[in-house]
Amino acid sequence: MELFKEKIDNPKGKANEIKSPEFLTCQECGKEILKELVHTNFSTCIYCGYLFRIPAYNRIEMIADENSFVEIDKTKKSNDPLNFPDYKEKLKIAKKNSGLNEAIICGTCSIEGYKTGLAVMDSYFMMGSMGQVVGEKICDLVETCIKKKLPVIIFCASGGARMQEGMISLLQMSRTTIVLNKLGDAGLLYVSVLTNPTTGGVTASFAMQGDIILAEPKALIGFAGPRVIAQTVNDTLPDEFQKTEFLAKKGMIDGIVERRDMKDKLKKILSLHK
Amino acid sequence: MNSVLIANRGEVAVRIIRTCKKLGLNTVAIYSEADKDSYFTKIADHAVCIGPAKAEKSYLNIPGIIAVAKVYDVCAIHPGIGFLSESSDFQRACEEQDITFIGPDANAMDLLGDKARARQIMIENSIPVPPGSDGEISSLEEAQKLADEIGYPVIIKASHGGGGGGIRIVFEKKKFKSEFLLVKQEAKAAFGSDSVYLEKYLTQTRHIEVQILADGFGNVLHFGTRECSMQRKNQKLLEEAPAPFISDVLRKEMEDCAVKIAKIVEYKNAGTVEFLLTEDGKFYFMEMNTRIQVEHPVTEAVYSIDLIKCQIQVALNHKFALSQDKIIARGHAIECRINAENPAEDFKPSPGKIKELQIPSGFGVRVDSGYVRGDKISPFYDSMILKVICFGQNRDEAILSSYHALDELLISGVDINSDFAKAILTHEDFENGKFYTKWIENVLCAELFG
Repeated sequence: MELFKEKIDNPKGKANEIKSPEFLTCQECGKEILKELVHTNFSTCIYCGYLFRIPAYNRIEMIADENSFVEIDKTKKSNDPLNFPDYKEKLKIAKKNSGLNEAIICGTCSIEGYKTGLAVMDSYFMMGSMGQVVGEKICDLVETCIKKKLPVIIFCASGGARMQEGMISLLQMSRTTIVLNKLGDAGLLYVSVLTNPTTGGVTASFAMQGDIILAEPKALIGFAGPRVIAQTVNDTLPDEFQKTEFLAKKGMIDGIVERRDMKDKLKKILSLHK
Repeated sequence: MNSVLIANRGEVAVRIIRTCKKLGLNTVAIYSEADKDSYFTKIADHAVCIGPAKAEKSYLNIPGIIAVAKVYDVCAIHPGIGFLSESSDFQRACEEQDITFIGPDANAMDLLGDKARARQIMIENSIPVPPGSDGEISSLEEAQKLADEIGYPVIIKASHGGGGGGIRIVFEKKKFKSEFLLVKQEAKAAFGSDSVYLEKYLTQTRHIEVQILADGFGNVLHFGTRECSMQRKNQKLLEEAPAPFISDVLRKEMEDCAVKIAKIVEYKNAGTVEFLLTEDGKFYFMEMNTRIQVEHPVTEAVYSIDLIKCQIQVALNHKFALSQDKIIARGHAIECRINAENPAEDFKPSPGKIKELQIPSGFGVRVDSGYVRGDKISPFYDSMILKVICFGQNRDEAILSSYHALDELLISGVDINSDFAKAILTHEDFENGKFYTKWIENVLCAELFG
């Protein structure tokens, strides 16, 4: 019995050409995972929950409402103010690796309808280090938000101040601190979200300045790295030293938030602020 | 059309992959960590691990499945049975990505998934339903009044319930209030809506269903009846086609009614209309399953048709070239589901490694297995290993053929229910048609296990 006259159009030899898919290996459990599955799972290992590093634009896509992000200072990029050896070359490579002009992306967006300023650091660009332009972009964003009466959210991911810019990069610590104080004086909220890793000059400035400080699980958060500290104090450090969970216990962090819950958490905070 | 992703596992996945292969289609299987090395992952052209054993993170992970479908650039997804097969969200997710969902439209799924609304629509269209509420019933007073009117026992069902959840039978008036409130509470927690409806609980009924197929051009065909009363705790154990011990007139009435229902809801693709048949020969609409059923091979046997192939063709917008009068059943078929379980120990599941597996064969014997020797039956999912489907010129032949096929079946390493199935096949009540949906629980289990 042939129920249909039409045949399934599937000419032989025209079989589907499947491109070889890309797999990622989880650094924690060692398992291989189809890249897209990591992506749909909030860049989290589907097995052990390990958090993969996220490029800034992917993070924005995860947090901001669709098509709501309006970037500012997109084209600003570092030059080499001190003529530091190899810096120009490093910037080129960083740009190529990350597809970005700088280690931070700033702009305004809405989160579940609530308008806010949003800055996201990208560790694929020179480990998210803070130089003159990173500081400047944060200042521009915060000033814009003060004018527009918007709260600010910053996702931190940084190895610290950018050593190739010497004192100029250290100066960004005070610049960002001052501008965020102005935001506070204007009665506007600042939420800082610490992700793996948040260290050095960034920790010592705007990362820890949040009215509310959230952090992703198991992130490394500190000023000097654990090895340096262990050598300095000449003692063994606790297992969880400088990890989110440890810092939360010590009262340094207001909340640990899973990646999949982050948007919802931020929405709730913004709704209270309003 | 050249590739299909199978969003399922085990026996169903094997069943679908085989038809795809026959049609020259490439297959992509997805599997959970627990199903690594499972047979279906080996026979598919591509197999991708999609997540951990827990179904929520693997077989129910809609974004994950869609992502795999995009990477492998498949044209269509077959959802199989269970898991996402009745999820309109999944159907819509496929549609958004221009992937053909091999199954009905989301609207029909939503409509039939809301049991209270479906009941209401059936009433409006003069389809017989058991006495009860017109649709959803919200106030306790109203419900209590209705229950007293139609008489106990009554059954309170969650509108969005499924899989035997959100159902309570009330045998006496004084318990009605507490049970009614409890179902509402349970329904809210389990299905996200406290909508419930009320029906008279009919005892000593048979479960008879009609296979339908609609091509989306307004043509609906039926593929006869199936008798599915052999069940325990709402889990079917043995099915046959066509349903025996009913008159040709009654059978035709049920078949026509099923076709009418499919037309009312503007159904497309394969579906099953389930009816309750009372002792005095009245039948009532119970629900419509918007997917292929486990027991579909008995229909395939008596109609010589591949229903999975039909599903694919309907999904490709192919139009029926035959009319109902050309679709003729012949003979009789019985399916026995073989599960890894121990009937003597209250059907306790028996997961483990299959050490030996000898599958019966021969004329009219079909075995659909999800496993081969050495495979493991995982404790995470249902315990069905395989199905033995036997075809005969008549019911007696099919029964005998089934019995001997089960005799030849050999599985070691896990406990199986084949002796229990044989006990059904040889029971005189089964032979004489003196059975109903609670027969296994009330009669057979009592006789075998006291």
